[in-house]
Parts: sequence; structure tokens; C-alpha cells
Amino acid sequence: MRAAAPPTTPDAADLDAIRRPRDPVVPPSYWDVLERLLPDVSQPAQYVGGEHNQVVTPWARARTRWLLCYPDTYAIGQPNQGIQILYELLNERSTSLAERAYAPWFDLEEKMRERGIPTFSLEHHYPLWAFDVFGVTLPHELGHTNLLNLLDLGGVPIHAADRTLDHPIVLAGGHAAFNPEPLAPFLDAVVMGDGEEVVLEIDDVLRRAKEDRVAGRLADRTALLERLAGVEGVYVPAFYEPRYAPDGTLRATVPVHPGAPTRVPKRTVQDLEDFPYPQKQIVPMTETVHERFSVEIFRGCTRGCRFCQAGMITRPVRERRPETIQRLVTEGVADTGFEEVGLLSLSSADHAEIGDIARNLADVYEGTTTSLSLPSTRVDAFNVTLSNELARNGRRTGLTFAPEAGSERMRAVINKMVSEEDMLRTAEISFANGWRHVKMYFMVGLPTETDEDVLAIAEMGIKVYEIAQRHGRANKATISVGGFVPKPHTPFQWAAQDTPQEIQRKLDLILEQIKPHRGLRLRTNDPEEGVIEGLLARGDRRVAPVVERAWRLGATFDGWHESETLPQWHQALADVGISLEEASHHERGEHEAFPWDHLDAGLDKQWLWDDWQDAISEKALDDCRWIPCYDCGVCPGLDIQHDTAYTNPETRGPSLPILASGPATPASPAPLGGSPDLPTSAARLESP
Amino acid sequence: MRLRIRYTKQGRVRFISARDLSSVWERALRRAEIPIAYSQGFTPHPKVSFPDALPVGYASTGEYAELTLATDIDPGTGLARLSAALPTGMDITTYLVVPDGARRFAKYLQATLWDIAWEPDVDTTPDLVDDLRHRADALLASDAVEVVRHRPKGDRILDVRPPLVDVAVDPGDPSEPRAIFRAVLRNDGPTIRPTDLKVALDGLADHPLPDPRLYTRVAQGAVVDDGVVEALTQQVEPLTPGRHAEAA
Ligand code: B12
Ligand code: SF4
Repeated sequence: MRAAAPPTTPDAADLDAIRRPRDPVVPPSYWDVLERLLPDVSQPAQYVGGEHNQVVTPWARARTRWLLCYPDTYAIGQPNQGIQILYELLNERSTSLAERAYAPWFDLEEKMRERGIPTFSLEHHYPLWAFDVFGVTLPHELGHTNLLNLLDLGGVPIHAADRTLDHPIVLAGGHAAFNPEPLAPFLDAVVMGDGEEVVLEIDDVLRRAKEDRVAGRLADRTALLERLAGVEGVYVPAFYEPRYAPDGTLRATVPVHPGAPTRVPKRTVQDLEDFPYPQKQIVPMTETVHERFSVEIFRGCTRGCRFCQAGMITRPVRERRPETIQRLVTEGVADTGFEEVGLLSLSSADHAEIGDIARNLADVYEGTTTSLSLPSTRVDAFNVTLSNELARNGRRTGLTFAPEAGSERMRAVINKMVSEEDMLRTAEISFANGWRHVKMYFMVGLPTETDEDVLAIAEMGIKVYEIAQRHGRANKATISVGGFVPKPHTPFQWAAQDTPQEIQRKLDLILEQIKPHRGLRLRTNDPEEGVIEGLLARGDRRVAPVVERAWRLGATFDGWHESETLPQWHQALADVGISLEEASHHERGEHEAFPWDHLDAGLDKQWLWDDWQDAISEKALDDCRWIPCYDCGVCPGLDIQHDTAYTNPETRGPSLPILASGPATPASPAPLGGSPDLPTSAARLESP
Repeated sequence: MRLRIRYTKQGRVRFISARDLSSVWERALRRAEIPIAYSQGFTPHPKVSFPDALPVGYASTGEYAELTLATDIDPGTGLARLSAALPTGMDITTYLVVPDGARRFAKYLQATLWDIAWEPDVDTTPDLVDDLRHRADALLASDAVEVVRHRPKGDRILDVRPPLVDVAVDPGDPSEPRAIFRAVLRNDGPTIRPTDLKVALDGLADHPLPDPRLYTRVAQGAVVDDGVVEALTQQVEPLTPGRHAEAA
């Protein structure tokens, strides 16, 4: 149970002086008090700031002041590119400043609460309550309780309704912001989609509002929220109300405030070339999960995997040009001193010119200790070729592929167009090329799944393991199986989520099947983990009191094994009176309203429904980048198009599937798109 | 070319752990374009070594590193660049080009001058200084002073007396009183940390001392009468700063 009271904050007059756009009073820095606590907490360097490329702006030099936050530990949140982009953009403006905050671990939080130290920024250790905006990224659902905790710890009322002009605007973005309803009472404003343009627009509105407040032309917080709601893509939850049918089902969420749009669109940056960020990437002084210079090589994904929220909501594909990527990488590596480069995107092997990009970078860093990585799980030989290329300087250790489902039938349902032959041949090529470990991602709990489909996962694992063994006794194969959680704005948003018991039963089936094959490894997550995620992913406003209750009962860091929060959540559900059966485990009907129907991700609901029907009838779709458009709604709706080299016939790459299905023989890697003379020389194909 | 470097670790960077220190240096070396040599093998490592680890949270003006370079550089300008590339609070203060056949760095770092500082407070500092002086005398007069170090793996009993060379109390100036306890500890034998010394001092009167504000490793080198001879500069870092000036 959360016991200690939040820290005290100054009275209104002092807050007003601190928040003034010009000649403000500088807020207190909590560094001195914090410093004394740090010797006694784990990994104290995460709280000190001072990294290379942090931006420290004097309080009085800016008129608007943002605190940007990833609501998890520094180790997890620091590598996120979204926050770093917004940080750089806001700090480039002469009129604004942005500092960063992350969630303190349990040991520090306890001491902070004991001593009244609020949520603080890393740059100056200023308190959250002093800033104009608390900009929080919600990349997934398991940071919701941390958000409440950071607010409370930061001296900000957790309910938006209790805030005045003397409190920061609590603004959320990121993928989970596409259904912010379970957080609606706690957020002032929400942005879906790309943040680059909209933060600057919000910043403009805020700056003017602050000047107007000084001049007595801004009445109250509602007036400020009205102005924010005037920015395209800014959703102010307080201006909307859900309407329920007598049986309790949601009918619609409707605007109840003059001027609030019926549907709020997501924001999309048409040309990533306009925003070559982050360039000045933070270089952490303590371990994080991704220590590398990352460049987002494209945004969006059109493969149309039906379970994948990220793929659906970030459409259309917008590629960065190879020259820009090359420049960002070479300048960034020199500037930061990172030894690893990550070419980031949702499916990096799909960049139209990835072959050239990889080869050119591999050339630049040939013979150096700089390594390149490409998070791609595409199941084909091309991906192996790319990985070979990128591993020129290093060892060929493990490759990861994501067939996602075990049976052909199931893969047609989820629209993952990979055949068993593709997977086996890719494994064959991987091991023949000297890779030692093949990992495969799968899901169970998918719509229409039978036990036969589940067992096919084990079968595929076993076959790949046998290939591994044929190429060397020390070679390894791993199947990693997660429980599927249906997400908003996807064709599977109508699907029922399996109960944790059912997921466990399916995992046990797999375990039983692979038992005789002792070298094949199986990795699974606790099936209970999907319960909270599922509840928050598709929950409506009635879930908000559950979030609050769970947090009050002590839940934070819901995604962490160190933090066992499931009992608090079950308690909270019982206290509030919400059944998981209703919320997550039943299939939804065609005409049922969703809590996110008023939030427009660009996807036509009818198209999603039709795709759901196609899924159930096992009809797969092609990637809409190469073949004619399906009218999913994104492109015409946003008046934009896929921005890839494929639209240019001269650089047009091979169409999908890259490998025609065929017998599982060791083939040489498919040629890369673009120039055929990439140095995938015979020498490099020889088995070690 | 091999370089031995003395550097500081003060302010925020005090909280960088020994484990994270190498990557902080490796990135700074790359930013400063210092041609560091790499070890051979499957996973080559840059040849940067730190003779001994400083506990997280301690400050230091006496940290040391040894670099092996792949090609020679002008150390003055190169290390100035490196110093600028290191995070704030880490500054290179001096260096030595290692002559061929030099003994291992650790051999030169025989003893450490430590400094335990309490928060200055006009009301209590003078009393604390007196108190510290009594405890210092008692400490030097004892043949053995055992302390218990609590560790997750089980408590350990240590005698702080054998490696202790000398101690002094620095009261600061009359206009700016302060309470600093200084000690020279030999580095060989079981490592005694200044926190162990603090525990030892706690036991030498009927009440424990208040918690110190900061522990600082001032310098390392060879033992002399009144402090240590700093390993790279061969200058004496006195146990009691200003004592020579006072006498003069
Ligand atoms: C790097 C990365 C990580 C890193 C770093 C953390 C992070 N999320 O960045 C690590 C390895 C730690 C990680 C872990 C996880 N990740 Co991850 N990760 C990524 C990855 C590859 C890149 C993230 C990124 O930097 N994107 C680029 C930036 C520019 O995009 P962005 O963050 O969305 O920000 C933009 C907008 O959303 C917006 N925006 C974002 N925040 C805000 C805030 C405000 C106020 C505003 C105005 C705008 C705004 O503006 C930004 C610029 O346009 C993405 C995939 C991808 N390509 O996006 C997955 C991804 C975000 N991760 C995902 C998942 C599931 C996880 C894990 C839960 C996995 C797991 N099961 O453990 C964990 C959770 C960790 C945690 N506890 O928080 C999923 C999210 C699922 C979804 N929404 O559909 C993604 C999309 C991958 C996927 N395809 O499934 N991840
Ligand atoms: S390839 Fe499929 S799973 Fe991966 S991001 Fe694209 S749609 Fe999602």
C-alpha cells in the first residue's frame, strides 16, 4: 500500500513566479539532497545526468519548459528514440527547454518519499511540479502505474480535474496512447502518431498562452486545454464522454465540449528527411539495454501482420534516404564514441535500399571495432545475407526469425506470409553460413487456434534443431513463445484473449512435444503477464479506477519480474467490480463500439473488420508496398503515400516473397536489392 | 606507446561504478580519436586499465589509468583532448609516458591518502574537530582496532591498524572551520576502506560519529613521513595540507 504523502509544493504565488515565461524565479534543485542518498541505492549513476550530449539550459533562458519522461528505469527508457527526438527538437528552439526524467527504482523512491524529494529532472534535478509540460511516452501498456506514481511523487495531482494553471500539462504520446482511455482521468492531452511537428505546435500554443496568462488573457486551465485541443491531433480526454447502453456496453465516446472534434486524427510526418533526428544522442554513463547509436531507417510497416499494432498504427512506410542514414551514422558514431550502430525500424530488412545501406556502412567500418546491428526477424535468405554483411567485423553468433505461428493455416490467419520451407531453408542457410544459434519467435493464443496449430510450433522447432545439429553439434536452436494479446486499431481488436490458464495449457503441449529433443530450447513468459497488458490495451474509461486502485495498492513496474503486481491488480479489479471475462476474454461483435473509435489512426474500421473476416477464413494479404493498395484507409485518409524507393522503377527491388517456395536445400543467399555485385563472395559462404 | 594518467572523479561522475567506468573511457577515447590499442582475439578489448577500483560514491583526485596506444601521439595535446571528452568531473591532471621496462603501475601505488569530510556547521564543527582529534590519538595508540564489515555473503572482521600509516585532523581556517579526517593507508594486505576507518573511529568513544559528507581518495604513491609521494609527479601530497606553510 502506498503510504507516504507526496512532497509538498510551494504556494500558488511562488509557483506562478517559477512558471513565468520571462524573468522567472528559478526552482529549487534537489541535487544536494539527492546526492546524499545516492551512495545507498542501486545503480546511482542513472540518476545523475551529466551524460555527453545532454542539454542544460538555464531556466530563465526559456519561456516554455518541458519535462520529457519514459516511465520506466533509465536503463530501459534512455535508449528510446522518441524522447531523444523531442528533446533535441525542443532544445534547439531558443524559446523552450526540455529536460528528462525516468522512474526511480524502489530503493530510491522509498528514500525520496521519506525526505519529500519529488520526481526530478536529470539535467538540473528540478522538480516535476515546476515544469509547464510533463511529456510522457507510452510505448506499451505496462508503464501506466509508473505514470501515476511519477505524477504523485512529482507533486502533481493525479487527476486532471484537480489540476489548475499552476500544474504542468500532462501530455502523453507513443503507441499505447492510441487507446489512452484507461488513463483518461489522469491525462490532460494525448497525441497519437509522430511527435516531431506536433510538439513544436503545442509549444507555440503554450508559449502564447503563458504570455496571455501574464497579461490576464487566459482565464483558467480549461481555456488552456481548449487552445491545446485546437492543435490538430491533440486529444483532450476531459472534452469527451463515453455513452453506455443500458446493458453497460459502450455506445460511443462523444465530444461534450464546444469545438472538440468528433474524431481526433493521428499525426504523420510525411517526409522523415525533414527530421534527421536524434543526431546528438545521449551517451549513457551507466549500463542500458541498448548501448548503440541508433538510426531509424524508416518508419511504418506494411506487411500487415494482423496481430501487430505497431505495424498498423505507424502506416504508411516512410524511408530515410541511404545518404542521410550514412551521414547520421558516421557523424553520430564520431560524436558519441559508440561502438555499435543499430539500424532501427519495425522490419529493417524491408528498406528498399537496405543492401546498399548495409554494404556502404560495412565498408566504412571494415576492420574497425565498430559493429552494426539490424533488428530484423524476416524469415528469408536475404536477411541472412544482410546479417553476414553486418557481421563482417564480428562473430556470427545468433540470428532471430519470427515465423510467429507454427502451422501454415495459422500463418495465413495472422497474415505472416512465411512457409515452412522458407523457415527451414533460412535455417539451413544460416547454419551453412556459420551462424551458431537460430532463435524463433512464436505466439500462442491466436484467433481460431487449435491444438494442432500449437503443436506445429514444436514441430518447426524440432526440424530447425535437427538442421542445427546437422551443421555442428554445438549449434543451438531456441523457440520463444509468447501469449497473444489483442490490440486496438488492428484486425484482431475483435478477438478474444486466451486466459492465462489456456495459454499455459498450450505452452505445456509444446513442452511435452519437444521433451525428447533435449537440445532444443524453449523460452516462455509467465502467461499471467498478458493479463494486465490485455486489460489496459483494450480497456475503456471504466478501467481507469482499476489503474488507480492497483497503484494505490502498491503496483508499479508492472512489466518487471522484480515487481509482483498481479495480486494488486486482481484486488483492484475486484474492488472496482470489473471482470476480466468481460474485458478481455470474450470476442467482440461487428457493431460493438470500441473505446478508441473516436481516435483516428487512419485505418478504416470497415477495412479492419473485413480483414478480420479474411483472417478467420484464412485469407492472407500481400504487402501493400509492392502490390496494389487494399484501401486500408491510411494513405488516402492522410493524403500521403508510402515514401520508398520502390515507387521509383529504377531502384525497384524484388517483390515479395523474396524467395519462391521450394525444396529445403541449402541455397546461396538471394541477391540483395540494387546492385548485384555485393561482396557476398563465395569465400564468405564457406562453412567454417 | 604507453601512458599512465592521473585523473579526478568528482561531482556527479562519482556515481559511475567501476563496472561502467571502462565504457565511459572507451567512448571518450573514441570521441577524442586517441588511437588506443586493442587486445587480440575474438572479442578485442581496448587496452585501458585501471589499477584499482574506487567504491561508488567516493570522490577522488587520485584516480589512475594506463593506456596502451596503437600509434604514438603527442601526449600533451592528445590527453587534453581526452580530458575534454571525458564527462564533467573527470579531468586528467597529469601523465607519464611509460619507459620501457617500467614496473607494473600497481607497484608504484603503495599507499593512499584518504580524506573523510563532514558537513561544515558553525555550531558543531569545532566540537567535532576536538572529538576527531581524541579518536585519532586513540587510534594511533592502539595496536589493533577491529571492525566488522557487513556484507551480503556474511560479516567479516578486519583489523584497520596494520595498514594505517598515519592520520591527521584538518580543522580548516578559523574563518572557515571544517572537519576533515585524513589518513594514509598502505595498499598491500587486506584492503581497508575509509568506511572501515569511520567504523573504527565510531568505536573509540562512547558515541558514534555523525555520517561524513564525502570520502575522497586524494592521491596514491609511496609512503613518506608526512603523506604520500604522488606516483606520477613525485611530489609530496601532505597529510596535513598547509602544515609546511604554517611552519614557514
Ligand atoms: C528500442 C526499443 C526498445 C528498447 C528501448 C525502449 C523503447 N521502447 O524505446 C527496449 C529494448 C528496452 C525495448 C523494450 C520493450 N519493448 Co520495445 N521497441 C524499441 C523499438 C525498436 C524502437 C523504439 C523507438 O525508439 N522508436 C522510434 C521512435 C522515434 O518512435 P516512438 O518512440 O514511437 O516515438 C515517436 C512517436 O510515438 C511520438 N511520441 C512518443 N512518445 C511521445 C510523447 C509525447 C509527449 C509526444 C507528444 C509524442 C510522443 O513521437 C516520436 C517521434 O515521432 C520499437 C520498434 C519501433 N521501431 O518503434 C519497439 C517497441 C516500441 N517495443 C515494443 C515492446 C512490446 C517492448 C517490450 C514490452 C518488449 C517485452 N516484451 O519486453 C519492452 C518493454 C520495455 C519497458 N519496460 O518499457 C513494441 C510496442 C508494442 C506496440 N505498441 O505495438 C514495439 C513497437 C516493437 C514491436 N514491433 O512490437 N524496446
Ligand atoms: S513485419 Fe509484421 S510484425 Fe513486424 S512490424 Fe511489420 S506488421 Fe508488425
